[in-house]
Amino acid sequence: MKITVNGVPTMVDTDRDDAAVDVLRDGLGLTGAKAACRTGVCGACTVLVDGAPRASCLTPAAALEGREVTTVEGLEHPVQRAFAVHDGMQCGYCTPGFVVEAAAFVDRWRAEHGDVTPSRAEIAGAMAGHLCRCGAYEGIHAAIAAACRGEHDGEAGEPARVEAMQKVTGRAVYTTDIRLDGQLEGVIVRSSVAHGRVRSVRGGAVDLLPPDRTVRYVGQPIAAVAAASRGEALAAAAAVEIDYEVLPAALDDGSGTPPVWDAADRKHAPTSMEGFAFPGGWDGTNVRGPFGPGSWRSRTAVNRINAASGQGDPRLVTGTYTTAVQVHTAMEPHACVAAWDERGELHLNVSTQAISMVVEQAAKRWKLREDQVHVVAEHVGGGFGSKAGVTVETIAAVELARKLGKPVRVVLSRAEELTDTGNRPGTTTRLALLTDDKGDLTALSMDVHGRGGVAIGTSSALMARLMYGTAPRRLRDFDVLTNEPPGTPFRGPAAPPMLWALEQAVDEVAHRRDEDPVELRRRWDGNPKRHALYDWAAALPAWRDRPATGSQTGRFRRGIGVAIGNWPYQLDPGTQVELVVEGEVVVARTEVQDIGTGARSVIADIVRAELGLPADRVRVEIGRSGAVHGPASVGSRTTASIGPAARDAARRLREHGLKDGTRVVGKRRGDRRGYVTPIAMAGLAIGRGFAGSVHITEVEVDTRLGRIRPLRVWGGLAVGHIYNDRLARNQCEGGIVQGIGYALYEERHVDPSTGTVLTTNLEDYRIPGIGDSPEITIHFHQDGWDHVNGGGVGVGEISTVGVAASVGNAVFNATGWRAHDLPIRPDRLLRGISR
Amino acid sequence: MTLHDVATAAGVFRAGGTDLMSRAPGGPYVDLHGVPELGGITWRPDGSAVIGALTTVADLARDVRLRAAYPALALTAAGLATPQIREAGTLGGNLLQRNRCAYYRSPAFSCHQDGGDSCPARDGLTLYATVVDSGPCVAPHPSSLAMTLLGYDATAEVYGRGELEVAGLYDDDPTRDHRLARGEILVSVRMPPPTPGERAAYHRAIARSEAEWPLVEAAARLVVADDAIVFAAVTVGGVARTPLRLPEVESALLAGESLAEAAGRAEARCAPQAQTGYKVALLTGTILHVLEAAVEGEKVAA
Ligand SMILES: Cc1cc2nc3c(=O)[nH]c(=O)nc-3n(C[C@H](O)[C@H](O)[C@H](O)COP(=O)(O)OP(=O)(O)OC[C@H]3O[C@@H](n4cnc5c(N)ncnc54)[C@H](O)[C@@H]3O)c2cc1C
Ligand code: SF4
Ligand code: FES
Ligand code: FES
Repeated sequence: MKITVNGVPTMVDTDRDDAAVDVLRDGLGLTGAKAACRTGVCGACTVLVDGAPRASCLTPAAALEGREVTTVEGLEHPVQRAFAVHDGMQCGYCTPGFVVEAAAFVDRWRAEHGDVTPSRAEIAGAMAGHLCRCGAYEGIHAAIAAACRGEHDGEAGEPARVEAMQKVTGRAVYTTDIRLDGQLEGVIVRSSVAHGRVRSVRGGAVDLLPPDRTVRYVGQPIAAVAAASRGEALAAAAAVEIDYEVLPAALDDGSGTPPVWDAADRKHAPTSMEGFAFPGGWDGTNVRGPFGPGSWRSRTAVNRINAASGQGDPRLVTGTYTTAVQVHTAMEPHACVAAWDERGELHLNVSTQAISMVVEQAAKRWKLREDQVHVVAEHVGGGFGSKAGVTVETIAAVELARKLGKPVRVVLSRAEELTDTGNRPGTTTRLALLTDDKGDLTALSMDVHGRGGVAIGTSSALMARLMYGTAPRRLRDFDVLTNEPPGTPFRGPAAPPMLWALEQAVDEVAHRRDEDPVELRRRWDGNPKRHALYDWAAALPAWRDRPATGSQTGRFRRGIGVAIGNWPYQLDPGTQVELVVEGEVVVARTEVQDIGTGARSVIADIVRAELGLPADRVRVEIGRSGAVHGPASVGSRTTASIGPAARDAARRLREHGLKDGTRVVGKRRGDRRGYVTPIAMAGLAIGRGFAGSVHITEVEVDTRLGRIRPLRVWGGLAVGHIYNDRLARNQCEGGIVQGIGYALYEERHVDPSTGTVLTTNLEDYRIPGIGDSPEITIHFHQDGWDHVNGGGVGVGEISTVGVAASVGNAVFNATGWRAHDLPIRPDRLLRGISR
Repeated sequence: MTLHDVATAAGVFRAGGTDLMSRAPGGPYVDLHGVPELGGITWRPDGSAVIGALTTVADLARDVRLRAAYPALALTAAGLATPQIREAGTLGGNLLQRNRCAYYRSPAFSCHQDGGDSCPARDGLTLYATVVDSGPCVAPHPSSLAMTLLGYDATAEVYGRGELEVAGLYDDDPTRDHRLARGEILVSVRMPPPTPGERAAYHRAIARSEAEWPLVEAAARLVVADDAIVFAAVTVGGVARTPLRLPEVESALLAGESLAEAAGRAEARCAPQAQTGYKVALLTGTILHVLEAAVEGEKVAA
């Protein structure tokens, strides 16, 4: 059939029923449009058909016949530069879809209204068919508004990140976009039972079962197959016959459920904590714990609480708080293209947030030297913790490629992504908090039961060790094992559930004492850096003028809430950056990846500034192995690791002079007073000091229809030196958007009788859209980190951990009702306020 | 192509494809786009419109004359799905789309709707299920446009069957979301003549701000004269197996009950599933919302 694509009449040979997105991507190699959800929800696949934006995943090829199709590659529109300048992106995976839609909107807007600024609601309405998991909505708003005003008709403005123009033109290549000659498509065959022993598998090309041949959740990988096209591979996967001995499954928390892990297998349970899980005993079949290493004078704490409870002491605040399972939901699914070369070396394109870990783990797994594993992750469409190391799509692709002797690509579907790529475990927290007559904290007790499916590693209560001084406390974590998909680390692991409970309890104390919640925290909090944030928060007009709790009676009620957070400062002390003078250009390399945090730009900024070079004389080549060691993008450690190493390298190069061919290697030199961890494990050291946050959130509650609208959020962060202001703000804004998702919308549902995940698309698993993004103000307090080389620490996790609790406190301020369960759905709100 | 050609072609009809492609029931597909009778909006001498089945949802929201004549329909069209889906999805496809029950859409389950003989949702997740019990299937009907068309007493022209009320497209049969048989083509929707002085409103109760399937939705059409409601049509969706019109609410309004009292009349219909108790309050609340909005709103229809 004939289609005009980006102005060029093109004959395409396609099935009329194929999705347009596949015709463009696979047939024509136009990979700008991304197939991120395939259900018409996320908009990443948007193209213009005769000038109108279409979700190409739900557009049959037949509908393109004789039409003019414009993809992001063919778009030349001022809004693209606006996105680049206003940083309307992080990872960039959603960006092609956004800019295509925005281009059509801006043209229509200017034609109808002239060059004036649309309201936020108008922009949100026009962009309602797009989702950005990084939460770059503030930048997107700014970009579209500026383009509507005609501010980007010329070449005005510098892109906020070095790769921005690639991302807005669709030239940025992600793993899902890679296509090698002769490449096959791989598909993973997964368990349809929640617990069973696999007796036999007929028809699978490679085996993905664990040594005990037992599946422990619906969706666990069993085998993989590959074929020339994804359609054929799916058919082959459907034909695989699996014979199970079905075992009883543990799908609720009740006692007496069959064991998820037999005593002998327990050591194989995966963990949802970064890098380690506490050793320890099992209390009953499927309950592990307690672990209480964060406790401090726990007997005293418990005695005080029991005594207060016995006397009905009004200063004792107790409560049970729960959180739902949250799924990372990176817009780029997990993806790997694997190829073995004739020398037996392994080449991987992989969507990862940890190139160095992939190299190390792949070498170990496939018995290679590290220099025989070649990893490329040029652009990575988000990860949030779910893409650290060798995960199953990579194992499947590598094994298939070896077996079939051809390159194999494995890209997970959205349903797989939302089922089995990790999650933030759900929790139930029982909390008791006691104060004395002066309103000082005298005892705290937290018992957290974490539900991470087949994974262990709950350590939420532990995180409460970092909060509010040294009052006696008993902090106990338990794992409740079920036959459900495993939890994994997720942006700020363990902290949000703890803060959801603790920060609301602290709010309750303030409420009962009739004390300003910011002032109470100031009294309890020994962290001097956060005291500066309290000053800032207390002075905000919105905070000063907040309504008295429960004072409103109308249908719509406004409320404002505060919550704080603490996060350990982490870094990879082995980080290096090398600089090579190649002609006129200084090229920087390190084994780091850019998952949207702006690693390229941080390095480029520093090298340019130190050497006084213009932008076009510095090139940053990251996103591939083989360079000097770089950090994994986990634990907020990327910027604080590469920044100082880049500066060190630039200073060395300045000493050597910019002679062609000169090569220097800069190191991440140590901090004054060293680190908390004496030796670096797995590229990690815990440095001295805690990053601190204060979030102030304003909501409007519709007491009739149960909707909570986040209006404004102020995020105050004490993280020291900010390497790149706009990029850091974008991260913090995204952290707030994800925190709002956690507070109000996000919830994985599992069928209670079969253990099947039900929220397998982006309609049913609800992440915040642009209309849910509040107006955000970020405030950085940059003092207090002089002991740190580079003067600053990461923002990725501290920017999100306390947000949900601030929403809960805002809802309480608005309505006088305290939410205990996340997310605060309309049904919960309506039930709560009707009591 | 003629209607006859299409009706006799072996395959599944495809209009915009936005529902079909996400379900992928397997072809072959028969494209409806080549059939002239299915397109366009025709105005009859009595001022009423005949809307071709291939008219897009976006056109329903955008067309100036439709907006003036049938404001509730235009508001509903503007409020559903997302801009891209509205641009591609058609009136016919919207009325004949399949439901959004997660169990039905999951390949892991089979149920009444796809050849099975049970409903796994009933004993499972019912948070988004019906609150008005109407048989073995508890998936709310998905079509927002059908809901609003009920309030217009619109009729559907079906090739192979003739003219029937839009309400007649639906029933409680748990094996289907509409009553058309294979080979029957929805040709057009016939609207009544516009109602002078119509004030209209549409609203959906959702958690987020946009692009979410309604927990409950409602549309109201009112005519107010001398501070009294002299005409009322109230329809709701997201609550039952079929879209519903609520005569009990309408007659209460005509009898001069307060808006809140009238909205409250819907409660008597409710028989919640395990997790849909909240939809009772949400239903009356959403009805009250559209009634208030319609009363306060400008008169739109000429
Ligand atoms: C993210 C998202 C959100 C949505 N939200 C809503 C919402 O809030 N409210 C709502 O109502 N809808 C909503 N929808 C559904 C959307 O409105 C429908 O997908 C769309 O209207 C279907 O139209 P279509 O032309 O694409 O139908 P198609 O997919 O082409 O067809 C749908 C069905 O109707 C049949 N069919 C189509 N036309 C005819 C005809 N003329 N005669 C006989 N059979 C026919 C087809 O065979 C098929 O079975 C949403 C969809 C998405 C993706
Ligand atoms: S509610 Fe209806 S569609 Fe859903 S599983 Fe039950 S029968 Fe099937
Ligand atoms: S991939 Fe098409 S809308 Fe998400
Ligand atoms: S930038 Fe939008 S999803 Fe990452």
